[in-house]
Amino acid sequence: MSRIWTIATATFREAVRDKVLNSILFFAVLLLFLSLALREISIGDTEKVVRGVALGGVSLLAAVIAIFLGIGLVYKEIEKKTIYTLASKPIPRWQLLFGKYLGLWITLAAEVALLTLLYTVVVGAQQGLPGLPTYVSMGMLMVELSLLTAWATLFSTFAAPTTATAYTVSIYLIGHFADDLRLFGERADPGPFKTLLGVLYRVMPNLEVFNLRTEAVHGVAVRWSEVAWSSAYGLGYTAAVLCVAMLVFERRDFK
Amino acid sequence: MQPAIRTENLGKTYLSGFLRRPFVGLEGLTLEVPAGVSFGFVGPNGAGKTTTIKILMGLQRATAGNAWIFGVPIDRPESRRSVGFMPERPYFYEHLTAWEFMDFYARLSEVPAAGRSARIEGLLSRVGLERFRNVPLRKYSKGMLQRAGIAQALVADPELVVLDEPMSGLDPLGRVLVRDIILEERKRGKTVFFSSHILSDVESICDRVAIVVAGALRGQGTLPELIGNAATTSEITFRGAVEVPGAEVVRQDADSRTVRVPCAEVGAVCGAVLAGGGTLVEVHRNTRTLEDVLLDEVERARLVNEKRLGVLA
Repeated sequence: MSRIWTIATATFREAVRDKVLNSILFFAVLLLFLSLALREISIGDTEKVVRGVALGGVSLLAAVIAIFLGIGLVYKEIEKKTIYTLASKPIPRWQLLFGKYLGLWITLAAEVALLTLLYTVVVGAQQGLPGLPTYVSMGMLMVELSLLTAWATLFSTFAAPTTATAYTVSIYLIGHFADDLRLFGERADPGPFKTLLGVLYRVMPNLEVFNLRTEAVHGVAVRWSEVAWSSAYGLGYTAAVLCVAMLVFERRDFK
Repeated sequence: MQPAIRTENLGKTYLSGFLRRPFVGLEGLTLEVPAGVSFGFVGPNGAGKTTTIKILMGLQRATAGNAWIFGVPIDRPESRRSVGFMPERPYFYEHLTAWEFMDFYARLSEVPAAGRSARIEGLLSRVGLERFRNVPLRKYSKGMLQRAGIAQALVADPELVVLDEPMSGLDPLGRVLVRDIILEERKRGKTVFFSSHILSDVESICDRVAIVVAGALRGQGTLPELIGNAATTSEITFRGAVEVPGAEVVRQDADSRTVRVPCAEVGAVCGAVLAGGGTLVEVHRNTRTLEDVLLDEVERARLVNEKRLGVLA
């Protein structure tokens, strides 16, 4: 366990010293502040517009950070050949991969915590302190990011960053349109295409189940059973994808 | 006592290209590295040295054969519990300082917390990097990275140190440092297994040597076993107008001449030079070097390959 923790802390340290990551984070902070200005230029329930844009922006940029860090998680080690000294230590490869993933997860948790804190301060100063649904939606965002980074980690074990980015972004998009995929499949004519859509819907993650931003924006009471089921689904799916990543990584030759 | 490294018919075939054509990187390597020796692993580029080391270090999987480190099969991570490794042209985390980098590998190698800092400080000073302990590795020169790599390999005080081309990229001072470290480790009873292109270094520090050419082992043993002690010819340099019948003149200077004669005739020729009023300057035995042996093996491998291709044609 101590070796997993050593790898996790090193991964965290590398991420927080990454200039690109800090730039994306800077944009997320900027977006939070800019969303305040929407109260002046939008019509209708302006406070909800501010909350919606701020939470949406945080989610999107957090996903960008997750994808950016995830796709290079293993590949960067292979490309920079730092894997030679790392994988030659007496550590099972699954522990190595899990340590890297854990480090990435801690980085994302720190980013989301920071953005949540900023949201509380910035939006709170304008509209009063956010309610519990906001924090639950941020928690669910972390579950979504765990799953998304598991996919990015899997892709990074065998694909170059450009390809891995394309794959992970596809998963992100398909995941957020999963309900449309199901509807489309239901309405399609029977045949191979309908079957394909059915299979895709079942295999691909449904990332919309983690989206509680609407509830947060409108202050709707949290349905805990839904949160529990979505969390279990997300964490189970994450574990499954990580297991596949570990299997791929276990068989990988470092040339 | 278990050998530090043992391989049995170790082989690696790569599948390359769209058609997955097989390419043999290593073939039937049977090797034994006794514990407590410095072992040189030599061969030309592409001979299979790095492939062998990568298989032993768990970075690649062998497609044939088996290998053990101190009796533990290499597919088990515990086989590398007492191994320190420095890869060829070491690449490290550039964002870390030398101290953070050493601490990271010390923790991964489970160096006990008590004494960890002292060990790191000691090693950084041993490789001459103590002044740069807080400098990020991205600011290091190639030679400094090589030194950091060696310090990293020794951080857990391993029983077996595996170094892939440790001399490459080093200035003469760095080479002397690496040579001294290898000799010190051997003196402390550790096993040092290293590959190198610099054969003079291998000759000066290795107890045993293995030669690998075109993916196959071509010989292993002590240096005298590989090179042979018997010199066939000697070169005699002398001053004076003395004729040596039958001797091949190698060099003729203004006041001296060098001739090559069979070793058996050295005494007679020296006697003739002195009797003729000449002065002996130098007598040199032409012994073979590791380089001669390696070049012979490369040539032999080329001929075997040509013969094989001829048969196929």
